[in-house]
Amino acid sequence: MDKYHDLKNTLSYIHSELNRVETMAGTLSAIERDHYNKLTNFDHRELVDIAVEEQNAARQLGTMKHMCLAMAEKIEGIKNAIDRGELGESAQHAETH
Amino acid sequence: MPLTVVSLGRVLNMLKPIENFIRYVINETVDKAITRAIRDQYTENLYEMIPATRKVGVTNLMEIVMRANQGTPVSRPLGSPLHLSPWEKILFNPVHLFRLPTPENVGIRTSTSIGHRARKPMTLSIPIMIAAMSFGGALSKSTKIALAKAASAAGTATNTGEAGLVEEEREAAQLLIGQYNRGGWMNTPDKYNRLDAIEIQLGQGAQGSTPQRTTSKNIGEDFREVFGLKEGEDALIHSRLPGVNSKDDFIQLVRRLRDETGVPIGLKIAATHHLEKELQIAVEADVDFVTLDGAEGGTHGGSPTLQDDVGLPTLFAITRATEFFERKGVFRDINLIATGGLVTPGQMLKAIALGADGVYIGTAAIMALVSEQMVKAVPFEPPTSLVVYTGKLTDKLDIDLSAMNLVRYLNACVMEMEQVAMTLGKTALTDISKSDLCTIDPFIAKASGIQLGYVAPENQDRFFEETKPLFHPYEDQAEEQQTNLH
Repeated sequence: MDKYHDLKNTLSYIHSELNRVETMAGTLSAIERDHYNKLTNFDHRELVDIAVEEQNAARQLGTMKHMCLAMAEKIEGIKNAIDRGELGESAQHAETH
Repeated sequence: MPLTVVSLGRVLNMLKPIENFIRYVINETVDKAITRAIRDQYTENLYEMIPATRKVGVTNLMEIVMRANQGTPVSRPLGSPLHLSPWEKILFNPVHLFRLPTPENVGIRTSTSIGHRARKPMTLSIPIMIAAMSFGGALSKSTKIALAKAASAAGTATNTGEAGLVEEEREAAQLLIGQYNRGGWMNTPDKYNRLDAIEIQLGQGAQGSTPQRTTSKNIGEDFREVFGLKEGEDALIHSRLPGVNSKDDFIQLVRRLRDETGVPIGLKIAATHHLEKELQIAVEADVDFVTLDGAEGGTHGGSPTLQDDVGLPTLFAITRATEFFERKGVFRDINLIATGGLVTPGQMLKAIALGADGVYIGTAAIMALVSEQMVKAVPFEPPTSLVVYTGKLTDKLDIDLSAMNLVRYLNACVMEMEQVAMTLGKTALTDISKSDLCTIDPFIAKASGIQLGYVAPENQDRFFEETKPLFHPYEDQAEEQQTNLH
């Protein structure tokens, strides 16, 4: 189990950073959405185009937030597999096939 | 200033006799035409064209004369004009009290993931993708680049169509779905290893699985380069995928592509009444996604018979596929991408509510892309001449303006979808389901499991029990057809 100690630490680090990125993406997404609302108050074509870009950015940040969440779940799954001692078994299993 | 007014008055006075003469000529001509229309026998009367045209339809009349002129199947652009999917008979149900609408400060999640079981799943920021429209066979390179740029700006994917890999398209597209195609032009590892998802193309709504040929006279140097063709060689799409002559061949191909690339591997077919039998093989092959192209699917050009008289409407393709995947326990594991005649955001969202994970749009995307620039073509050329490979005005298309128009269009579509999600009390587009819908057609209710809007949810069974005699003739017909099929 000790040989996976470093790996577990690294996974914990990635997990915590992913949580941070997820939070940042969510916050930025909300800000971008707010910008869209503000920019569309002006009857100016170029500003409306910028607003549309902001809205696209908001959606892509929202997507990043969910990608981070999905990745964090996978990392949690690997950590749990290490705790249950399943990682070595599955690696051995993969080698034999 | 007064001098100008006086001059203008003089000119108008000089024009008066000309105006009177024109009025006289028009009056005489119209009078004679009406008199002839009244007095001539019907068989000699020009008016016979009106009921005759109404009898066969304007489009059919023109296609009759085109066939008579060409002697070969005519190539109609953009797909069937028939509306076979009754989208208008399905409605969303807003909430007010029993469940509350979504507060306006909550962002609606618009992302969707394709192939979550693949080593490299594809996550899209919006559930609308740009449909398979090939470079050369259909569109110009500028148009393909504009589509790719717009898709990337919106955080979604574009599709190569049945073509080789266009470097400029690959460069402009953040997410590129490539078609492993029956022409064989994308079917080598140097090409398909550079894709973000692979769609094995065995058919399309507007053409079925029929072979297609682009003659060498319509193939330029850039086309030959991308497709690896020799000068004078035609581009041929076979009816069968080279190397796939059995179910096992297909299963092996899916496995090989998955192992080699790690990206989502999908199957694209035209929707037909054999749908479940085709999907069974897709389930056995363990594909990551299935693209169903309904009978209303568009094309750069195809015979009207293939477009109008072949296939299954998109709406029923979605409801049947969803039911099949649920029955097999693979719903959402095998993603469903719906396409074919989806032109409004409402239709797209209904497709999602009925079980699609995403939709492709082709015709609507092209119209949005051309929109402002159509003035460069009309009135002497159709707007499509700006975008199709063989069009006369392709060099006049402004790529960045086209891309921006499409980005604005996609944004407007998704925002309209978000509005519906909010009034349904949902926080994600993919959370919208059949339970958010009702239909005003008892047959759709019966066939798809959407509740009938005529009666309260608790009275659905009673309604169908009481009206059972009305359905008997159709049940008998269905049984008869079932017997004939076996």
